[in-house]
Amino acid sequence: MIELHRVSKVYSVGPVKVPALREVSFQIGKGEFVVLTGASGAGKTTLLRLLYRDDLPSEGDVEVLGQGLMQMRRSQVAALRRSIGVVFQDAKLLPVRTVYENVAFVLRVLGTPRREITARAFDALRAVGLSARAQAYPAQLSQGEAQRAALARAIVRRPPLLLADEPTGNLDDAMAAEIVDVLKDIGAGGTTIVLATHQARLAAALRRRTLTLEGGRVMKDEG
Amino acid sequence: MLGFLVGEALRDLRRAGRVAVSAVVLITLSLAALGSFWLVSSNLGRAVAKWRDRVRIVVYLKREPPGGDVAALLERVRVMPGVAGVVFIGKADALRALKQVLGKDAGVVDQLPVNPLPASLEVTPSAAAATPEGARELLARLAVLPEADEVAGSADWVERFSHWQRLLTTIGLGVGAVLAAAAILTVTTATTLILHARRHETEIMRLVGASELTIRLPVLLQGMMQGLAGATLALGALLVTYSVVAPRLEPLVSLTLGLSQLVFFTPVGVVALLGAGTLLGGLGGWLARAAREP
Ligand SMILES: Nc1ncnc2c1ncn2[C@@H]1O[C@H](COP(=O)(O)OP(=O)(O)OP(=O)(O)O)[C@@H](O)[C@H]1O
Ligand SMILES: [Mg+2]
Repeated sequence: MIELHRVSKVYSVGPVKVPALREVSFQIGKGEFVVLTGASGAGKTTLLRLLYRDDLPSEGDVEVLGQGLMQMRRSQVAALRRSIGVVFQDAKLLPVRTVYENVAFVLRVLGTPRREITARAFDALRAVGLSARAQAYPAQLSQGEAQRAALARAIVRRPPLLLADEPTGNLDDAMAAEIVDVLKDIGAGGTTIVLATHQARLAAALRRRTLTLEGGRVMKDEG
Repeated sequence: MLGFLVGEALRDLRRAGRVAVSAVVLITLSLAALGSFWLVSSNLGRAVAKWRDRVRIVVYLKREPPGGDVAALLERVRVMPGVAGVVFIGKADALRALKQVLGKDAGVVDQLPVNPLPASLEVTPSAAAATPEGARELLARLAVLPEADEVAGSADWVERFSHWQRLLTTIGLGVGAVLAAAAILTVTTATTLILHARRHETEIMRLVGASELTIRLPVLLQGMMQGLAGATLALGALLVTYSVVAPRLEPLVSLTLGLSQLVFFTPVGVVALLGAGTLLGGLGGWLARAAREP
């Protein structure tokens, strides 16, 4: 599903070189739920961005869903992303659209037949326990609900891979636990999940395979 | 999918609000200016064409040639360069025509002891010769005919008129072009606002793997919609003006220009105007996009 081979990433900020990842290698199999943890600045976000091809590594090879990401045309990048769901710390919901419209937006953008859209959007909303709030606008949601709406949007096309970058970062423990439960449900359905979090407690409580980054290196791979 | 793209474009227009409205107004103004100059100019063009057709050169003959010589004379004139047609008008024909013009006063003609009117040739110049130069050359050629007494006619006035028509067209194009440039800039401004308002949508679309076309089309479409709306308004305004003004102006125009009616755009002209508007708007939208993505 995911394969990294000696991947390094160096950001250039003017003349300054900022190493974010150093010689990272690992594999993630189909259906795995992997926690990516490490202190702030350890390189978690950088790593996830390489997986959905938001950026390219400076060195090494990245393979996702059986495809090498190094040489891709724009249309191939788009095709890859259609198989990957992504959620962020901020939910990135479109503020002028309801929860339902936010979820349906993805389907409409990708040309899903109109008659399928409502049913599929509500399936996704039900999966995150948000169907009752379908007509609410993002501003009317709690942060936990907003994050669940973002999750619904990420899984509405039932992608085989879900990437979550600090989805619980803005939430209190109870809300974070809700999100984690939803993620576990999604994972139980066969979706491969990579969850990045700097919250060591959360990572430990999950009791899944955990990759620990430190200064851009994988220091531990356990569980 | 088309429904989605159009829906997004409409949503964007609503977001751009007043700027989109002023873009539409400017497109309306520029196309109404272009359109009205075009209408005036095409009607004047018809008048010029009509007058050109009516340019005649008359060769008055020293004496009426005997019947057998007429055909030969006509043939000699017909083969001259710049001659499209020639008709012989005998003394008797001329007198009959005079009587017709005089109507009820025709009796005075019968009082004349002899027919004072000369026989003449009425020469129709070819299109190429219906210019001042052409007419002058033809005049000179006809004047050396041994049978010719006097030659009359010129195309100068038609040309002076045609000159004004061309000047008017140029002014119209100039004014229209300046307004069109302003319109494009306004569409570009509206589109830049829209791109800013759309940035979250664009980000999400990229994230979920939308095709580049799906991302770009709504932006192009909203520009084209602004243009089409402006063109439709301009066309409507021109049509209303035409239907109010034309019936009032036609008697005058018929008297002065010899046009019995003023024409509006042909269907092709209507499509061209709408197309021009759509193109202007699309161009504005495209420019905004291009400016953002070097
Ligand atoms: N776009 C960028 N340009 C330059 N440097 C960057 C950029 N993004 C990240 N970095 C640097 O790369 C390193 C890794 O950053 P990254 O965002 O991947 O860490 P992280 O583990 O996600 O941290 P956090 O837990 O705070 O989100 C940091 O030193 C950061 O400053
Ligand atoms: Mg991060």
